Amino acid sequence: MRLLRTRLIELVVVLFGISIITFLMIRLIPGDAVAIMLGANTEVTPERVAELRASLGLDKPILVQYVDWLAGAMTGDLGVSIWTRRPVIEEIGAHVWPTVQLTVFALVLGAGLALPLGVLMARLRGQGWDVVLQIGSVAGLTIPSFWLGIMMILALTVLAPGVQMLGYVPFSEDPLGNLARLLLPSIALALPILANLARLTRSAMLDALQQDYIRTARAKGVSERSILFKHALRNALIPFVTSVGIMAGYLLGGAIVIEQVFAIPGLGRLILGAIAERNYPLVQATILVVTVAFVLINFVVDLLYAIIDPRVRH
Amino acid sequence: MKKAFTGLAAALVLGTVGTTLHNAPAHAQVLEAAVAGSPAGLDPHIVTAFTSTQIVGGTIYEGLTTIDKNLLVAPALAESWTVSEDSKTYTFKLVSGATFHDGAPVEAADVVASLNRVMSADIASPLASRLAAVEMAEAVDASTVKVTLKEPSAPFLTALASIAIVPRQFETDKEGLQNAPMGTGPFKFEEWQPNGFIALAKHEGYWNAGLPKLDGVKFNIIPESATRQVGLISGQYGMLPNIDAATALQLRGQPNVAIAETLELAYTLIGMNVSKPPFDNPKVREALNYALNRDEIVQAALFGAGVPGGPLSPALTEWAVDVAEFSCFAHSVDKAKALLAEAGVTEPIKFTLLVLPRQDIRDIAQVVQAQLNNAGFEVELNIPEIGQFVQDWRNSNFDAFASINSGSIEPDDYFYRTFRTGGSTNVFKYSNAELDGLLDNGRVALELADRQAIYNDAQKVLACGGPVAFLTYGQLFTATRDTVKGYEIMPNRSLMTLTTTEFGQ
Repeated sequence: MRLLRTRLIELVVVLFGISIITFLMIRLIPGDAVAIMLGANTEVTPERVAELRASLGLDKPILVQYVDWLAGAMTGDLGVSIWTRRPVIEEIGAHVWPTVQLTVFALVLGAGLALPLGVLMARLRGQGWDVVLQIGSVAGLTIPSFWLGIMMILALTVLAPGVQMLGYVPFSEDPLGNLARLLLPSIALALPILANLARLTRSAMLDALQQDYIRTARAKGVSERSILFKHALRNALIPFVTSVGIMAGYLLGGAIVIEQVFAIPGLGRLILGAIAERNYPLVQATILVVTVAFVLINFVVDLLYAIIDPRVRH
Repeated sequence: MKKAFTGLAAALVLGTVGTTLHNAPAHAQVLEAAVAGSPAGLDPHIVTAFTSTQIVGGTIYEGLTTIDKNLLVAPALAESWTVSEDSKTYTFKLVSGATFHDGAPVEAADVVASLNRVMSADIASPLASRLAAVEMAEAVDASTVKVTLKEPSAPFLTALASIAIVPRQFETDKEGLQNAPMGTGPFKFEEWQPNGFIALAKHEGYWNAGLPKLDGVKFNIIPESATRQVGLISGQYGMLPNIDAATALQLRGQPNVAIAETLELAYTLIGMNVSKPPFDNPKVREALNYALNRDEIVQAALFGAGVPGGPLSPALTEWAVDVAEFSCFAHSVDKAKALLAEAGVTEPIKFTLLVLPRQDIRDIAQVVQAQLNNAGFEVELNIPEIGQFVQDWRNSNFDAFASINSGSIEPDDYFYRTFRTGGSTNVFKYSNAELDGLLDNGRVALELADRQAIYNDAQKVLACGGPVAFLTYGQLFTATRDTVKGYEIMPNRSLMTLTTTEFGQ
């Protein structure tokens, strides 16, 4: 309960700080929404520009704009998109699912495979297979996912021409089409995570296997299988869970690139587009939502510690 | 049990692949197009950025007039018009049977409301200056509109082609059309999934009977060029409209892909700030023209897909002056250096070239840099982010810039605002009394021959002594699956021929 309270206070402080930073940052970028809206080639007079700016509320001092925004945000009104005039919450709602799906798939795929692979690598340490897996994991870490994504698209075009693999359809509309289209991007996104977590698991396992309590367990005749999974893995899980939590955050960033390559209309595309269009309220709100997600994920990770390690509970 | 489940899952996934393949022809009457940019709203009077206009112009919306395949003014919602003796009153007869997408008939009151909407200060439409000559518009009866001008205006009919007719209830509504556009065109708006797609469906009540042939068009928004290409090759997309030479060359020769091309109206340019050194001196501007080798630019930056061009696109056969008539278009380093010596400036002339952040313009800027550095200049490239570029451009905060302008079929449409003293996009701060006189005359002269003579002179004034070194006109390409028939690529990038597009064998 106390944990929950401190976390909530932290969340509010973080959100407040982030809101100020994003508010200033996006306005520091030169060029505003009106200039982008008109393009570089239309015949506009300065008066027209001024009228347009006024109608969007961009002519007020930044401080006034911020206070206006904050007052709205307090009551749950995060404003409307400059372009479409729709509430930004609706816009985010329309973009959040592809990203959530992509993140969860990649995380499950990456973390799910990393654990057995890491254990296997620790078990095979020094043998030929360990070297192969090590090389594979370095490759997985260093290959940029956008490159991998494009290569996978190209390969599939040759291997299976005619397959619809770009874009996104909601699960509710076409469940199989949804899964089929998310398969490649999830793999592209999961690979670096898989490599990273597998290496981490390997070293954490090796570390644990050298501890005294393992020697004790061996001495009292515990089976090798039980030593590996019950004694060593359980201890190796703590750094693993921490990393998964951090990566969930990074996945949202990785998704920006992958969404671009696979033409998936997710949060990454939304933010990128909003920044390019200087759609201030949308950038502001999207970053807030991502921040909340990040903080919440870390909170869940803290709770997981308590489950894995009884000492934390006290 | 677990194994059986995995097997089932695998079968399902494979099954999806199979059915997608199988189903492709069933969607065949909806054309899947892939475009790069996400539109910033769909109100035709408010958002004039190309990402928006290409999707709504000629598909969802129509004007009283239109620009046909030969780049001439043709009837659209107005089936005919008469002009008064003094050329100041136009009377338009509306085509019969035209309806908006909600089924309401198109009446004179809608046309009047649309024109007023564009001219209203409250809507703040950037298109307002196109109707600057309009005194008032009134409905004579349900199908007749009378427009009175303040003074005769030769470009008026061309300008009307770009003014979409919208239902009268939107006259004072700034927001309604941004998300849910409603016009009279062959396709009606169906769904917009931001960053995903914009789907248009056939307008069943379209006044031009038998059209459109497609059941719908879906514009998929695909930011990544490689992804668009692969999508076309794999057949997921049927059309990549208005692509550049680099993309087209990669797609050429792919199985089942057809490429159409045309010379486009848009031109690349070096714009110079004539309000400060070094380009305040006309001799320096002329020297820069001599220093450029336009053929080399076409070869090096446009992959040979383009032509050197003057102030007007060679696609405008009725207007464009042959570049052979512009002496400064003949590349000569000696001549450039001689002019610099005459100008009395010390070499090298240092300046910064502000570059539009687009791949083709970057390429061109680098070639230009090399050519100019060879002829007494010392050029530094500055490639900012797009917002910064637009701001610097609009505020004339540059020595010179490299960019691309969309051009227009009507010489007045862009000459006047771009080069006349005080023109709204005269960011060069150029002022030339002789040219101003020509441009003013070009507006009020109504006979084609008179206007051609005037704009011939204007082109000659601008080509070597103006604030712009005109570089190239590129080839524009559209790639489609070879089953897509009846589409014709337009030099002004309009997608209006989607109306006659269909699937064939």
